Amino acid sequence: MKKFRLLIFVAILYVGLLVFFPAKGQESLFNTWYYIKEMLEIMPVILVLTALIEVWVPKPFIEQHLGETSGLKGNVMSIILGSISAGPIYAAFPISLSLIKKGISIENIVIIISAWAVVKIPMLANEAKFLGLKFMSIRWVCTVIAIVIMGRIAKRFVSKNDVLEHIKSQEHEHLVSEKIQINEKTCVKCMLCVKAMPELFEYNGKMLITPLLEEIDTKLIDADFVQRLRDTVNRCPIKAIEMQLNLE
Amino acid sequence: MTMGLWGVSLIAILFSLYKKPLETKSALGMASKMIKNMLLQIVGILFLIGFMLSMLPPELIKGVLGSSNQLFSTVAGALLGSITIIPAFVAFPLVASFLKLGASVLPAIAFLTTLTMVGIATFPIEKEAFGLKFTLVRNGLSFVFAIIIAFSMGVILR
Repeated sequence: MKKFRLLIFVAILYVGLLVFFPAKGQESLFNTWYYIKEMLEIMPVILVLTALIEVWVPKPFIEQHLGETSGLKGNVMSIILGSISAGPIYAAFPISLSLIKKGISIENIVIIISAWAVVKIPMLANEAKFLGLKFMSIRWVCTVIAIVIMGRIAKRFVSKNDVLEHIKSQEHEHLVSEKIQINEKTCVKCMLCVKAMPELFEYNGKMLITPLLEEIDTKLIDADFVQRLRDTVNRCPIKAIEMQLNLE
Repeated sequence: MTMGLWGVSLIAILFSLYKKPLETKSALGMASKMIKNMLLQIVGILFLIGFMLSMLPPELIKGVLGSSNQLFSTVAGALLGSITIIPAFVAFPLVASFLKLGASVLPAIAFLTTLTMVGIATFPIEKEAFGLKFTLVRNGLSFVFAIIIAFSMGVILR
């Protein structure tokens, strides 16, 4: 419910606005449409990029090139990564989150987000056109220097653990995959669960819980599904499936 | 630009689905879950921004940026840039027109810099993603450095 609080507030605001000040309301809607369009254009790309980083970029690679010890080279790479990006600042967040899990330093995360926001190549051309090449280049140089200094100051105030712990607590709130896990150490890969519930368990060299889990919240209302899940968990010969469901 | 991005990411994800189908599917599931959670809030905030923009006439921006006290108007410009989100390609011509009318350059630079780097509007999204401390530090630093950038540019451009 908390998630919808803002949306409800906005809905009431707009209904009031459209009833009492229709002209302002229409103007607001028109403005909003621009931002919504921008969001719809960029978010699918961000989704794909986030998933691709997850699958293809190895953790040691990020740790080495963008991690705590990557130094000025890491800073430069972060500036470049941020600058070739597109879209509004919030588009940087999902990608940054997956980079944090892969071991990027706080310093470089601040640099990527800031560069993402300010340093954009198409925008530089636009700025030069209206404000002059000299203005644009000086502002660009000042900004890049400032962003690197900002990253270095930020890491003194915020530790990586602060952010990691926050992400973890958020995930516990959001991700239901925490609810069912297979203990890989004890699992003997007998395939009983795969045969019983192929929609939930998969085998691909190791035991996997399928992405169907995304819908588990709705599935768990289904008594039949829950019963089958319980049976499967109980049938596991070495009890390697761990369930944390609070079901009445 | 956007079309190109769509094309490249489409090809990349198809390749990834072909090479590592299971990992890719579960990573896509995870990413879409993460983004879905953000999206609700983003949409709400975008509507708020649209509303604020219609309430905030360009004359007000001009008034703030054109004030005679240099330090005051620079800080005010930075503040104004923090609370508003105007697309940069609208902001550049706008600022250029103010400068032509004789507005001072320092507040204009502070405004341009905080406009994109500091986000009061996107603060809740950032807080949800990275936590309060990170968000406060990053936005606070951006604000201070926007003013520093403005003054150093003022010195260089003189």
